[in-house]
Amino acid sequence: MRKYVLVRALYSVVTLWLLVTIIFGLVRLTGDPVGMKAEAGADAAYVAQLKQNWGLDRSLPRQYLSFIGNLLRGDFGHSFEKSLPVRDIYFERLPNSLKLGFAAFVISIVLGVPLGMLSALKMHSWWDNAGKLIALLGLSMPGFFVGLVLIIVFGIELGWLPVLGKGRSAFVASEPATWVTFWFRDWGHLAMPAFALGWYFSGAMLRITRSGMLDVLGSDYIKLVRLKGVPERMVIAKHALKNSMIPILTFAGLNLLIMVNVAIVIEVIFNWPGVGQLLYDGLSNRDFPMVQGVVLMSGLMIVVLNFTIDVLYGYVDPRIRLSR
Amino acid sequence: MIRALLGLITALTLVVMTCGDLAAQKSAPILSGPLAKLDIKPAQIDTVGGTARGTLTVAMHFALDPGWLDPLEHSYAVTQQMYDYLVHDAMIKPMPHAYVTYGLAEQAELAADFRRAAFRLRPGLKFHDGQPLTTADVKWTYENFKGAYAKLFHDKLEHVQIVDDRTIVFHFREPFIDFMDLYNGGVSGIGWIVPKHYYEKVGRDGFKARPIGAGPYKLVSQQAGVQMVFEAVEDYWRRTPATKAIVVKGVRDLTARMAGLQTGELDLAFGMTGKLLSRVMADPNLRWDPNFTGPWWLMFPGYNEPGSPFRDKRVRQAVSLAINRPFLAKQETQGIGKPWGNWISPENRDALQGPEAPVPEYNVEKAKQLMAQAGVPDGFEVEYLPFPPYFDMGERIITDLRSIGIRGKLQSLEGPAFRAKIGQGRKGIPGNRTIVQNIDPRAGGAKANVAVYTVCGSPASFVCEPPIEALWTKHQASLDLAERERLVKTIQRIVLDEYYFVPIYWNPFVAAVGPRVLPEGKGFHRYWDTLNAPYPWPWEVWEVKADR
Repeated sequence: MRKYVLVRALYSVVTLWLLVTIIFGLVRLTGDPVGMKAEAGADAAYVAQLKQNWGLDRSLPRQYLSFIGNLLRGDFGHSFEKSLPVRDIYFERLPNSLKLGFAAFVISIVLGVPLGMLSALKMHSWWDNAGKLIALLGLSMPGFFVGLVLIIVFGIELGWLPVLGKGRSAFVASEPATWVTFWFRDWGHLAMPAFALGWYFSGAMLRITRSGMLDVLGSDYIKLVRLKGVPERMVIAKHALKNSMIPILTFAGLNLLIMVNVAIVIEVIFNWPGVGQLLYDGLSNRDFPMVQGVVLMSGLMIVVLNFTIDVLYGYVDPRIRLSR
Repeated sequence: MIRALLGLITALTLVVMTCGDLAAQKSAPILSGPLAKLDIKPAQIDTVGGTARGTLTVAMHFALDPGWLDPLEHSYAVTQQMYDYLVHDAMIKPMPHAYVTYGLAEQAELAADFRRAAFRLRPGLKFHDGQPLTTADVKWTYENFKGAYAKLFHDKLEHVQIVDDRTIVFHFREPFIDFMDLYNGGVSGIGWIVPKHYYEKVGRDGFKARPIGAGPYKLVSQQAGVQMVFEAVEDYWRRTPATKAIVVKGVRDLTARMAGLQTGELDLAFGMTGKLLSRVMADPNLRWDPNFTGPWWLMFPGYNEPGSPFRDKRVRQAVSLAINRPFLAKQETQGIGKPWGNWISPENRDALQGPEAPVPEYNVEKAKQLMAQAGVPDGFEVEYLPFPPYFDMGERIITDLRSIGIRGKLQSLEGPAFRAKIGQGRKGIPGNRTIVQNIDPRAGGAKANVAVYTVCGSPASFVCEPPIEALWTKHQASLDLAERERLVKTIQRIVLDEYYFVPIYWNPFVAAVGPRVLPEGKGFHRYWDTLNAPYPWPWEVWEVKADR
């Protein structure tokens, strides 16, 4: 088992190194960021000063080595556009993304899983058709559309909910009092962006729950359980639901990571200060350190999640660790 | 009796306000020898006082950069001045009543040979931490400045002489005729004074995160890119700021800004142009200011290269004749934009305007004749580069050009890529059949625009012509201000007469305010009185209802 874990860890490190290297090269293909800040007519000395400040006056290999060296020390560099250390900005934004992501995740689960189950259990009924319609709407109505409709209805016309930002609550690492309060305040600000974000994923969740449930309900062991005369409620709650949850949870975990890291459109529409907006700003402004930092952190989350799943699989199913 | 007494008090107050700096005008001279004539208006000091109240919530149309809070690294972008006017204060700066007014300085002098400049600070100036602002801070700011024009300032400087805590003299190696223009807070960051003691203590990053200055507002908190909260400095020397707190948010999405205004979460939003402008204008709860910035204009990079159809002046003129400016302004700006005859904003000193630069005519038949005379009766294909994100406008201009056979292919670039290309001038846009649509509300007088776009040596040069070059060389060598003005106007005349640039219309960069902004009615337009200011500074005069 130890060897298996070590091999998986090595794979994870190599994956991260590849990610770091690729993103370092890719952002530099987008062009020269200095020209954007220098404005027309900027004198050569000013341009040179900017290049020096941003470390772009050095050769690419030296930039790369310095980048890797800084990463190993936990330093993502200074944002070109926001002038402060990327690490500070990122970790200031991350709690906001987590809050939005978790809320959207809960909405997607609360809407998607029960409706998916209902749809599977009442196949070809009115419930099933309604479920399929909701799944279709969820997947075909983009988040920005849902968001704008929510803003118009609940923000502008009814005036019930605020339309901009996250409210006053903030997660401050140095202030323990905020660690808990942050998550439970300003729900008015959270409601619309979380719903707009969770709506799409609820459609996907509904579909995967429905198909997973149908697979399990059609399996031999469920047939056997039914033949044995176990009440239908028990069949579903104890045997079908439990087994159908495995793919759903895997899918949900991945969804959560996506919702936390790349809710760009929703964050822009609601001016939600998350990491998605950071990535958007970074890409729009050729802010190399910011893009590198955000992508690397997203990659790190995915790699850690995959590593954890791999290790758990290894524990749960010995065949896996023996075959790899 | 009481009414008469009140009238007397009001009259006295007005006298004090308008003549606040009369004492400064009578101060003893700092420099010996003949002096150049300076046109710097006294500061308008409100001695009545008052109480700061309410919160003004402002939405910028892009993410906020903490770097804007640091004048030492002042970029060329005019946006940064918005934060200069909040947190910091300048020796001299544009204000609503004049383009050059006294700020921290109450007296300024420039030697007639332009080799020395002197300033005397107002008495009792303080930074937000209570420390006195002295000439040591002025000297330190100058010497440590790294922003736009830094090399020019440092190359010209011989040494700085601190006469006393309030008096400072800059000695230059050679005549520095543009010094007062460039030192003006409306043009560069070097005149916005930074506290030496604090900057040295907290360092570069620390200052950007928690800056202090000598301005009317102090930063209370910020989330990089998202929000900055400022609080009034009640004992600010010019007046007590009218608004207690100003919250600036970065709201990139136009729809979100519009929604924020409609729900009352925002009181002021910039960049309300484009497709939602008609909704802003139709909303009875919102008011808007046209906020004219600079004129749009077309350029022909590569016009003087072999094989370029734009080498022929008649083709460039035909382009100008084919553009229906009033219709374009109506479509793009709901009729707010003004068809214009120069590429330089009329708010810039020495810019040709009015009868000196009439709006070019719209005459498609004449344009077709010129195309035929130039040997291109059937037109030709061009690449068309619009200023992002004004792609609709680009399409409309292409449609106009199609009427004379010029078939444009729109190249839509993202903003940074476009700016990077423009920054390299004609070298950044290879080929000889490209039309570029640009706008540049640059401050610093017409000469600043001339120097950037029409002089061979400029990195962003789009025109390089020997007659212009000769005039510019003469301008740079001249110490005669009247002659310099004449030369700058002559260069503009050539650029317009030769159709090197084709002006279109003076662009409104519409800002909208909500119902909480005072005064009610049309009085709020006064916030946009400062010349060459795309943002409505100074901030200490903004008033809002005190319900928040």
